[in-house]
Amino acid sequence: MALIQARGLSKTFGNKAAVRGLSFDVVPGSVTGFLGPNGAGKSTTMRLMLGLDNGEGVTTYDGVAYRDLKQPLRHVGSVLDAKPFHPTRKAVNHLRMLAISNDIPTTRVTDVINIVGLGDVANAKPKTFSLGMGQRLGIATALLGDPSTLILDEPANGLDPQGVHWLRNMLKTLAAQGRSIFVSSHLLSEMALMADHLVVVGRGMLIASGKMSDFISTSARNAVVIRVDNPELMTRELRARNAAVVTEPDGKLAVTGMDSDAVGNLAHELGVRIFELSNRQATLEEAFLDATGASEEFRASMGFGAQQPGLGGPGFGGPMAGAPPGYGAPPPGYGPSAGYGAPPGYGSPPGYGPTQGYGAPSPGYGPAPGYGAPPNQPPAQHASQDGDDNR
Amino acid sequence: MTGALKYEWVRIRTIASSYWMSGLAIGLSAATALLIALFSSAGDIEELNIVQFTSWVVTAGASFPLIPVLAAPFFATMGAMAMGHEYRYGTNKATLTALPDRVAVYAAKVIILVGWVTAAVAAILLLDLAMAWLFMSNPTLSSDAIRPVVNYWGYCVGFALAGLSLSAVFRNQTGAIVAVLVWPYVIEPIIYGVLGAIGSSSDAGIIRLTNLLPSSAGRRSIFDPYELAGFGGAIDTWGVGASTLVFWVGVLIVVGAGVASFINRDA
Repeated sequence: MALIQARGLSKTFGNKAAVRGLSFDVVPGSVTGFLGPNGAGKSTTMRLMLGLDNGEGVTTYDGVAYRDLKQPLRHVGSVLDAKPFHPTRKAVNHLRMLAISNDIPTTRVTDVINIVGLGDVANAKPKTFSLGMGQRLGIATALLGDPSTLILDEPANGLDPQGVHWLRNMLKTLAAQGRSIFVSSHLLSEMALMADHLVVVGRGMLIASGKMSDFISTSARNAVVIRVDNPELMTRELRARNAAVVTEPDGKLAVTGMDSDAVGNLAHELGVRIFELSNRQATLEEAFLDATGASEEFRASMGFGAQQPGLGGPGFGGPMAGAPPGYGAPPPGYGPSAGYGAPPGYGSPPGYGPTQGYGAPSPGYGPAPGYGAPPNQPPAQHASQDGDDNR
Repeated sequence: MTGALKYEWVRIRTIASSYWMSGLAIGLSAATALLIALFSSAGDIEELNIVQFTSWVVTAGASFPLIPVLAAPFFATMGAMAMGHEYRYGTNKATLTALPDRVAVYAAKVIILVGWVTAAVAAILLLDLAMAWLFMSNPTLSSDAIRPVVNYWGYCVGFALAGLSLSAVFRNQTGAIVAVLVWPYVIEPIIYGVLGAIGSSSDAGIIRLTNLLPSSAGRRSIFDPYELAGFGGAIDTWGVGASTLVFWVGVLIVVGAGVASFINRDA
């Protein structure tokens, strides 16, 4: 069991603040995902947590700072780089070298190298390793001391689907044993399957911290979808009740600001015939893009937009264009206060939520004819993972 | 500290370059000692100072001004790799998460490196001694050889430490290797030349500043006899003690910069 408590983490490079007053907890028995756009400060935060970078703030592991841990590999395992080893030192020797520094028995080296599936290449030189094999060796390093806490920076990078599946199951199993797992990843679909809690940062500041289900439930992409015989009347009456309505290409109405019961009752009152009424749950990716739309450090200036017609316009915002007015600020419970956020003084300052003006793509930046997402599919969003942007 | 020493001991033993560099230093030195020994046998031994010749063979020519300390660049490169690999391959993060005490990590690198270089220099000296006994007609060692032998060891250790520390300063292995080799073989000779030119044309006293060049001072401290350092009285050279001190002050300055950099900067 190890409760990680990060308080007031800050780091500045020259005049640029990479991490600003970041505070959060990682609770035992959970996989906590660490999300943020490129340049948001995730890796810097992890280095600060491990005492590798000089900065402000403190991180404790069950109340003890990393530098004060005796034989730290027995308490905290970490992977920060994809291939952090000498290319001509045998994999087994790399692990022995680290193990002996913390008085970890050599038998444990054999154990972890088998756990990560590198038993057959234990005596091979890592220069022959693929990126995925390198990641596995890094994970073996993290597991060496059988630690109660794991801090992993993009551990799934380079892993094949089987490897990703293995990693997910392993981390969930380790969390179920009561360990604290803190893992960053750009693979949001994978994170959605793996993590129970989230810490979301943008431009070095906390955007959200708490249960993943709560984070997703506050997304602007959650909507009531209704298909009726008189959409014009329905739209007018919904908007009269301050609901936001977007007409989708297939004629369905996406309604936000009212629940499905209220929408159904309104249709009934209006005498409108309902053909379909359902709740659409946002994905983690959509919730993440909503929350971090204005926090991207690096944005491509041109590209083939992939917004679905009707979703990219004013009032809903393209996936990379930021949330519309009213949806940009961290929702109640995810801000710097109230329940899930950082302690007062550590949260997002005004001006870092997505703001008006980012909601719609600029003329010329929308989807080129023929390049939009196919109907009935969410807008393409993965390009942001590498600092690219579909706009 | 114990953990750091164990780590560094495994680190230096599990990398091929440690053996390559040491092997090259030992092999090249032995070959040079062999050539000097054969040369002494071929010459008119009665006209040579056999005691000095034996000293030159034992130090692989390092105590003779015209032959450089051949082993030093290899040990300097080893030192640069001891720290440079951490930055080049990103292992510094793994190292420092396993051993957060940076002073202990640095101290362990220094201790293990000095021990390794000492063992390699011992091997060089023993092999060179064997060359003297096998190929010289009448090898003779006197107590006067102790000073060049000890300073030969110190010169090799000092260069290894300089390589290690420059890697910590530059956080770049290649840059450290270039710097530790360019300084003694390019920079100091240029300074020597410039000061010599100035001294011969205007201010003769300025040539004394060459006494402050650490690498040259360390090199001089190995000469046997030490009087060879003054080029027949052409240069007002400081004594052997002062030269040895200048060398070690230079090394310690670089080591200090390396320690400060390693401890205070981000990993």
